[in-house]
Amino acid sequence: MNPLMNQTPLHHWHKQNNAHLSEFSGYEMPLWYPAGTRTEHLSVITHVGIFDTSHMASIWINGPDAFHLLQYAFSRDLNRWNGKPDSQLPEGRCAYGVFLNPSGEVMDDAVVYRFRNDCFMAVVNASMGKTITRHLTDCRDNMNVEIKDLTDRIGKMDIQGPLSAKVLAKALTDPEKILKKMAYFSFKGSGPFSSHGETVKLINGIPVMVSRTGYTGEFGFELFVRSEDLLQTWELIFESGRSFDIQACGLAARDSLRTGAVLPLSHQDIGAWPYVRHPWTFSLPFNSEKNGFTKHFIGGNVLLVEKEAEYTYPFAGFDPRKIIAGKASVSDSAGKTIGSVLTCTTDMAIDRQGDRIYSMATPDRPVDFLPKGLSCGFVKVEVPLEAGTVVYLEDGRRRIKVRIENDIRPDRTARCAMEKMLLA
Amino acid sequence: MKEILELNLPQNVLYTKDHEWMDTTGNTMRIGINDYAQDQLGEIVYVELPQIGACLNKGDVFGTVESVKAVSEVFMPVSGEVIQVNTDLENAPELVSSSPYEKGWMIEIKASNPDEVKTMMDREAYLKFLEGIK
Repeated sequence: MNPLMNQTPLHHWHKQNNAHLSEFSGYEMPLWYPAGTRTEHLSVITHVGIFDTSHMASIWINGPDAFHLLQYAFSRDLNRWNGKPDSQLPEGRCAYGVFLNPSGEVMDDAVVYRFRNDCFMAVVNASMGKTITRHLTDCRDNMNVEIKDLTDRIGKMDIQGPLSAKVLAKALTDPEKILKKMAYFSFKGSGPFSSHGETVKLINGIPVMVSRTGYTGEFGFELFVRSEDLLQTWELIFESGRSFDIQACGLAARDSLRTGAVLPLSHQDIGAWPYVRHPWTFSLPFNSEKNGFTKHFIGGNVLLVEKEAEYTYPFAGFDPRKIIAGKASVSDSAGKTIGSVLTCTTDMAIDRQGDRIYSMATPDRPVDFLPKGLSCGFVKVEVPLEAGTVVYLEDGRRRIKVRIENDIRPDRTARCAMEKMLLA
Repeated sequence: MKEILELNLPQNVLYTKDHEWMDTTGNTMRIGINDYAQDQLGEIVYVELPQIGACLNKGDVFGTVESVKAVSEVFMPVSGEVIQVNTDLENAPELVSSSPYEKGWMIEIKASNPDEVKTMMDREAYLKFLEGIK
C-alpha cells in the first residue's frame, strides 16, 4: 500500500474480510466486499448495511460565540431551524448545510450538531478537517470561540437500512429510552466528544453518540465513538445484525445509494462554483418570498445577485449503462452541447416501467419486479430544464439517453417514523 | 482484492495484456475477461456485446463491461468474425463475475489470421506480466 495513505481503525478488518481497497481522499478505503456492490446496495434498501465512515472529519466549535460564528460561516439559519422565525436549532438536533467562501462557492458541506447552548460539532468530508478548521479560525476575528479538528480521535460508522433500529437496539443499553420517538436529524449521547449531557452506551460499555442521519437516503444512524473503540463497536453491530442479514458495504454502494437519494458529493456535485440553481436550496436561508436571505453569512450576498450560474439537475437513464462523468458532455435533443456531467453511477434498486420509476421498496411495485438498475446522477447545464426533458450524455465512447428528474429512487425510508421501523 | 496467487487462471486458455482470455482448442475461439479483470472491476451489472457477423480486427473494442463504478472496454485478442454471443449475459451480467471462464464467456469468433494467436500469453507468461503491473 502507499505509505502516504491514511488508514481507518477498521483497516485490518477490511483486509481480513477481503475488501477491495482503494484510495479515497487520502484514505485507503473499502470500495466493496466480496458480496459485491449490487448486493451491498440492495441490502441497504431491504435490510441493513454498515459503512466505515471514519475518514470523515469532525470539528469541535465551543464557546460563548460558537452560535454567532456558525450563523456567519454556515449556510443554514440556525435561528430558523424548522423554517419558522425564532426556532433556534435545539440541543440534540443537527442540520445540513454548506460552508461557502466569499465568492459564494462551496468549500465543503457539513452536518452541524448542537450539543449544548454554546457547544457544536461540524462533520465535514474526508481530508477537509484542516481546511474548514482554518477557515473557521480565520472567520473568528475577535469572537470568543474555540475551534478544534478532532479528526484522528473520532471513529465513525454508519448503520443504514430499514432494519437499522432493530440491530442497534440489540447493541445499546436501554434502547427503548434512547430510540423511542427519535426524530430524523436528531442525536443522543455525546459519545467521544464530551462528558456533559446524556450518556449513551453500547452493551460493551463503550460511550457512543447516536445520530439519526446518514448518506444513503435510507433509514439509519451514524455512530460516533473514540477511534480506539471503533473496531469493537463495528464488531458488536455486525454480530447484532447477523440475524438480520447485515452486510458490510463499501464506498461504491455508498456512492450509488446517495446518488439515487439525490444527495450531492462535495467537490463533485457541489464545489468551486456559485451555490445556486441546484436541488439543495433547502440548505440556504431563503426568506418565504425566495428573494432574499433571513441572515447575513459568508458568500450569501454574491448568491443573491448571481445571474450567470449554471443549473444542476438530477437525471436517470433508461438502463444501467453509464458514461464516464468528468469526461462527458450533455447535449439537448437538437444535438447542441449544453453542459457537463457531475456524477454518473447506477442505482441497482430501481427500474422504469412505463413513465414511472419503481424501487425494490415501492409498495405497489409490479409483481416479480427485478430491477436491472438505472444510470443516474447530476448534470450541470447552461439552460433551465423541466423535469421530464430528455438529454443525451456523451463521453467520446458512448452516448446515452437520460431524463431530467425531480427525484430518482422512490420510496426511500430515511424519514420513516422510528416506531414503524422498530415494529416492522 | 485477490492476491496474484488466489487468481483463477486456467492452463487451457491464452491471455492478453488487457486481461481477456481466449480458448483456442475448438474450431471457433471463445473469448471473455479473466478472473483478474473481474476482480478489479467489481460486480458486473451490464455487458454490451457486438452483433453476430461483425468482423473486427485484433485490438478492436468488441464490447463493454460495466460495474456500478466503472465502464471498461474489452478488446479482440485476434482478428476475426463474431460467430456467437452469450445472450445469457443480457439478463445475468453477473455471470462474468461469478463464472468468468464458463457461464460468463462473452463471444465466439472465427479467427481470420490464426497466426495472431502467437501474440497471446500462456498462464505462466501472463502471471509474470501481472507481477510486473501489480
